[in-house]
Amino acid sequence: MNLFDQRKIYTVLEITSEIKHALEKFGIVWIQGEISNFKHHTSGHIYFSLKDDRAQIKAAFFRNNNLYLKFRPEDGIEVLVRGRLSVYEPRGDYQVIVEYMEPKGLGSLQLAFEQLKEKLRKEGLFDEAHKVALPLLPRKIGVVTSPTGAAIQDMLRILKRRNASLHILIFPARVQGTGAAEEIAAGVQYFNSRDDIDVIIVGRGGGSIEDLWAFNEEVVARAIYGSEVPVISAVGHEVDFTIADFVADLRAPTPSAAAEMVSGARDELLSAVQSLFGRLFQSARLLIEKRRSALERLARSRGFYAAPNMIRALEQRFDEATLRMQQAMARFTTSLRHRERLAKARLAGIDLRMLIRGKTERLSRSRQLLAVNLRAGLQRRRSRLEVAAGRLDALSPLAILARGYAICRDAHGVVVRCAGNLRAGEGVRVTLAKGELDCRVEGVRLQPGD
Amino acid sequence: MELKVKDFESALKSLEEIVSQLEGGDLTLDRALELFEQGVKLSRFCSDKLEEAERKVEVLTRAADGTMKETPFTPGVEGE
Repeated sequence: MNLFDQRKIYTVLEITSEIKHALEKFGIVWIQGEISNFKHHTSGHIYFSLKDDRAQIKAAFFRNNNLYLKFRPEDGIEVLVRGRLSVYEPRGDYQVIVEYMEPKGLGSLQLAFEQLKEKLRKEGLFDEAHKVALPLLPRKIGVVTSPTGAAIQDMLRILKRRNASLHILIFPARVQGTGAAEEIAAGVQYFNSRDDIDVIIVGRGGGSIEDLWAFNEEVVARAIYGSEVPVISAVGHEVDFTIADFVADLRAPTPSAAAEMVSGARDELLSAVQSLFGRLFQSARLLIEKRRSALERLARSRGFYAAPNMIRALEQRFDEATLRMQQAMARFTTSLRHRERLAKARLAGIDLRMLIRGKTERLSRSRQLLAVNLRAGLQRRRSRLEVAAGRLDALSPLAILARGYAICRDAHGVVVRCAGNLRAGEGVRVTLAKGELDCRVEGVRLQPGD
Repeated sequence: MELKVKDFESALKSLEEIVSQLEGGDLTLDRALELFEQGVKLSRFCSDKLEEAERKVEVLTRAADGTMKETPFTPGVEGE
């Protein structure tokens, strides 16, 4: 019975707390194992088991610790974790509280890369069917890169060397560090919002995997996939592969190579056009030759003698067509240059100053003529006036009076033209050239016949 | 037949077709002449397009009102 009295009896909580205390004495431990039963709770906490061939241990990776994990843990991945041992009392489960985790073997960035690549591949972002060919002759290129980086310098150097007729528009974006991926994605989207961009190049110069990381971010991959405009990715050196390279319509091993791609086609196209032009002439000439020989064969045949007129008509039609074709050839090869020369010559022939001087002279001549005409007209009118005035003068009664005549008026002021109208004793007024006389009629002498 | 040429690609394609038609040979002289004239026009259009030069490098900057502005680019001058 005594034995029983010495028994130390724990409650469940007490013994659990003791165990927990004992476990926590381990302090920080590093454990390597494979992840299983992985669960990422909506709260952000991660729960899983670490196992090897013969044992397993539960693990909790809380949100504030797992926030900056680059890769995505999943079942089957071998990891190394750092944490502390503890007990989850409600269940009596012992577990490791994880503070840090890294993938075993691959680096965590490398793993993240592989994981995103696999995810996007499954979604079809790398499908060849979605990729768009570059236009044969791109005009305006949108470049998303750092304006101070090596990539843009390299590209511009190549374009200058190739003497490329391109319009380059740079969307300045950070190409490494926080926010770089978003800026690169924004650049791709911006160029899509315009309607004048033929090709987009996203890129940067070489660097470590961390430096190139922005081009492995999902936001960049999705922006490139969503681009209507063909995208060339030109990241780092030949050996560097990024997610952007897989999504892009075309991967350039380096930024310089991207510049070659957008400018290279021109020379080839120019020689292609020239060769087509040559074949065009050659085939036209051949067509004529074939008909000429056919005609000559015909001319040698007996039918020729039977129907010479018909042949002649045929010949004429042939000559006409040949002539038209030769004229067309000549016209087209010379017309543009010729028209330009003509226009220039015409332009040079017209001297504006001469034109103005001519007009000025005509104007002053007209002015002089006008003055002369005015003066002559005035003179003419003046002499007409003088003649009229002379005639008026001659007719004037005053002039007649001056010659010694007099005017006689009766008492009523009526001019007396006949002596019979007056009687002796009546008063009359006689107007002389100078002055008047009041007179009285002494006698009336009528002329015989009045 | 009126030519409706908008871009380089389709012009080049039409030119290739015309040349192979002419090379095929089986044409009336009038038709050949017509094709030949078209071909010459297309060749000229293509070489003009290839010669058309707009050599420009510009960088975008965001104005105060948020719109993007294009300014001539001098390598190495803009700071980051």
